[in-house]
Amino acid sequence: MELSQERRENRLCLQAVGEMTIYSAAELKPALLEVLGRSDEIEIDLSGVSELDTSGVQLLILMKREAAVAGKALTLSRHSQAVLEVFELLGLGSWFGDPQLLPADATGRAAA
Amino acid sequence: MAKTILIVDDSASVRQVVGLTLKGAGYDVVDAVDGKDALTKLDGRKLHLVISDVNMPNMDGISFVKEMKAKPAYKFTPVIMLTTEGSEAKKRDGQMAGAKAWVVKPFQPAQMLDAVSKLILP
Amino acid sequence: MSLDLGDALQTFFAESRSLLQEMEEGLLRLETAPDDAEAVNAVFRAAHTIKGSSGLFGLDDIVAFTHKAENVLDRVRNNELALTEDLVGLFLGCRDHIERLLDITADGVEMDAATRQQGEALASQLGQYMGQPAPTLPAETNEPVQSVGGGRVADDTWHISLRFGQDVLKNGMDPLSFLRYLGTLGEIVHLTTLDDALPGAREMDPECCYLGFEIRLSTEADKARIEGVFEFVRDDCQLHILPPGSRVADYIDLIEALPENNIRLGEILVACGAMTQRELDESLALQACESARQESPQPLGEILVKRQIVQPELVDAALTKQKEARHRQAQEARFVRVHADKLDSLINLVGELVIAGAGVGLMAARNKDGAMMESVSGMARLVEDIRDGAMRLRMVEIGETFNRFRRVVRDVSKEIGKDIELVIGGAETELDKTVVEKIGDPLTHLVRNAMDHGIESADVRLARGKPAKGTLQLNAYHESGGIVIEVVDDGGGLNRERILAKARDKGLIQAGDNLADRDVWNLIFEPGFSTAEQVSNLSGRGVGMDVVRRNIEALRGTVEIGSREGVGSTFRIRLPLTLAIIDGFLMGVAESHYVVPLDMVLECVELSASASRNEGCDYLNLRGEVLPLLRVKEHFNLKGRSSRRENVVVVTAAGRKAGLVVDELKGEFQAVIKPLGTLFERIRGISGSTILGSGEVALVLDVPALQDEAARAGSSGVMV
Repeated sequence: MELSQERRENRLCLQAVGEMTIYSAAELKPALLEVLGRSDEIEIDLSGVSELDTSGVQLLILMKREAAVAGKALTLSRHSQAVLEVFELLGLGSWFGDPQLLPADATGRAAA
Repeated sequence: MAKTILIVDDSASVRQVVGLTLKGAGYDVVDAVDGKDALTKLDGRKLHLVISDVNMPNMDGISFVKEMKAKPAYKFTPVIMLTTEGSEAKKRDGQMAGAKAWVVKPFQPAQMLDAVSKLILP
Repeated sequence: MSLDLGDALQTFFAESRSLLQEMEEGLLRLETAPDDAEAVNAVFRAAHTIKGSSGLFGLDDIVAFTHKAENVLDRVRNNELALTEDLVGLFLGCRDHIERLLDITADGVEMDAATRQQGEALASQLGQYMGQPAPTLPAETNEPVQSVGGGRVADDTWHISLRFGQDVLKNGMDPLSFLRYLGTLGEIVHLTTLDDALPGAREMDPECCYLGFEIRLSTEADKARIEGVFEFVRDDCQLHILPPGSRVADYIDLIEALPENNIRLGEILVACGAMTQRELDESLALQACESARQESPQPLGEILVKRQIVQPELVDAALTKQKEARHRQAQEARFVRVHADKLDSLINLVGELVIAGAGVGLMAARNKDGAMMESVSGMARLVEDIRDGAMRLRMVEIGETFNRFRRVVRDVSKEIGKDIELVIGGAETELDKTVVEKIGDPLTHLVRNAMDHGIESADVRLARGKPAKGTLQLNAYHESGGIVIEVVDDGGGLNRERILAKARDKGLIQAGDNLADRDVWNLIFEPGFSTAEQVSNLSGRGVGMDVVRRNIEALRGTVEIGSREGVGSTFRIRLPLTLAIIDGFLMGVAESHYVVPLDMVLECVELSASASRNEGCDYLNLRGEVLPLLRVKEHFNLKGRSSRRENVVVVTAAGRKAGLVVDELKGEFQAVIKPLGTLFERIRGISGSTILGSGEVALVLDVPALQDEAARAGSSGVMV
């Protein structure tokens, strides 16, 4: 899992590339939390996530929660196919509340 | 990209049949004749699942799994151990070593495929 | 699923046969060393692997039977059951039955009634060792849940509550995989992910799992199948499954059992359609006074502690086992498997080479070419070395043959009710493969004879001050270019008086004959001789010791007996190391050449007038000893010039002497023996042929057969 940051005005844009899985979870957690401390407005670009497992989902949930507690805005954007599949399976789309751009062939319950 | 499964069993017929079954279902299959041989297959390639017999010459399945789990790249690779109903003690050892999924021998090819599907779909 | 399993099936048969072999070896080892954990393991592993593989091919008969044997074996392995002799016997029986089942499968025939009965009998014996009826598959009651009163939930979908343990991720299990698989059983109508257990950033371990799920699943599958989805995480998750049509009360029980806040859970259940808000409210009120059925979590800590204690021993055992396996592998690596036919053809070629070499030598000698003769003799030495080397290739250890007798001894001692231990010595002694193959029968007979007639019953032994357990030894060692195989028992020994009495009865000896012990013992090799007062169904089956001697002599061997009354007997078989090449004695008769094995030749004398001749049967008076004479020329109806002087070659076989009348004595000769074609098999007196250096053929005389012939020709054979 590679993380790269880019600041666009007030928003810190984080791009996650690779497998967001148990293998990278231990490194990813502190990296994500550290980013949380650096901006009030954070966007995580998930377009490069090739694989997402439970540990990855938990980290995203944790981020969302921690952001809310700290009064910051966290948005997930450009969900990759792998991310969409998991969100759909777990019924998490609405929980995160981010707009998900569904590919034409995906039929999700994202709004359920 | 097809998911890769390593099958470790000293019985050639088991390797052959399980291999055929899994390949038929769309998985990639690598095989090894015992624990020692299997360790040589942990060469950095991505393995999505390991299926291993317990009782094998040279290195048994449990020792193999212990060694595998000690390698960072395979620390979280799921393992299906092949066992008999009676071997509860072995099962405990195996669980300690990190193998939580057990398939009871004898199994039909379809049963194996079913078990594999629970852990990874092709 | 249709797979082409033909090849794999052949692999399976070959594999299973070799496993059965291992199983037998292991069991026999256990008979003498019941505590040999490695052997128990080997036996178990063999059964286990056979069962496992046969399951793959749907060979249910083999699976079912092997499974029963394996269960009992497992109890032995876990020290729950002592490995008695009876039990080893039972396992051996099982092993044989599995072999039979494999044969039936390989032959593609139906199981016959006898085999089926045998299987049932063994299974019921096995059952007795299980203590309780063998556990069948876990009987998960699958009865439709009966609704007795209470409001019914109007829904036809299953409700599944899942709470994963923290360790599942570390174990390589991803809850997502199970959920995906669950989706293949039907349709996931609703799924709520619960993050209630997910702690704050500080405490949260990214490699732990904190999620739970409430799932509505519409499926045709039954409860067992749904539970099966989570079988690999059964110990690592809380799973509650409510079938379609469950009562509201069942949901309330569920809410009580789950860790989360009841109100929140209720809301979730309402949200996912398991029940209505009204049902929830009413039920929660009622619930207050009812005791909740709580599923107590597993006392994991206890188990962990226990495991920690068990660990070191297990590791030690595993290490020892690995070391042994490595050692065995290192030994195996020193061998090359070669097809016996290849060796035979090599030996054949070497034989030709010996002959060709002799031919060259002959030419050199004829041409009186000194330098040539020197080179030839150098080459001859090399050829000899090659010959010896080639012969050694075909040498095998006799141990394998001896080991087969473990089973024989064990089965026979059970059968005749004697406790007999087999001790094997010199198992690594080598001899030619062809000899090994042929020694089995006579050896079996001697072993059975020793067990049956040699070793006394336990009470007799005790009365004689011997240990109740009899000992039978099989020894092998090399001696002067041959191999000696001994069958030694510590039984009563041969009874001289009884043998003499019997021999007189049968007219084998005269009343006044004074025989040395050795000669007395040899009497039991006479046709029709049996000393046992009680004929058992083993040795006394009409095949006498005379056949044993004849078989051994056919291998150009001899057998002798040593015996001390009350102490035991020794049957000593001497065999040549090989049958392929002999040191022969070459003789000329008319225009033909004959060879007898050199070690049978005692002396050569000129045939003088002292030989009397009456009616086709000759006798030779050799220093007062009367020998039957056999005129080779007449026996084979050879025409041709008679030499002026005839010679007698005095030969001995099996303690009988005879004189062969030949024309010419040609001296020692190394003969590469070739078997006769089937056409000549019936010719009595010839056991093979060999080719001389000159290219001429010489026939190898079968001395014992000729002696029989001579005895028959005369009124009676003369025993010396």
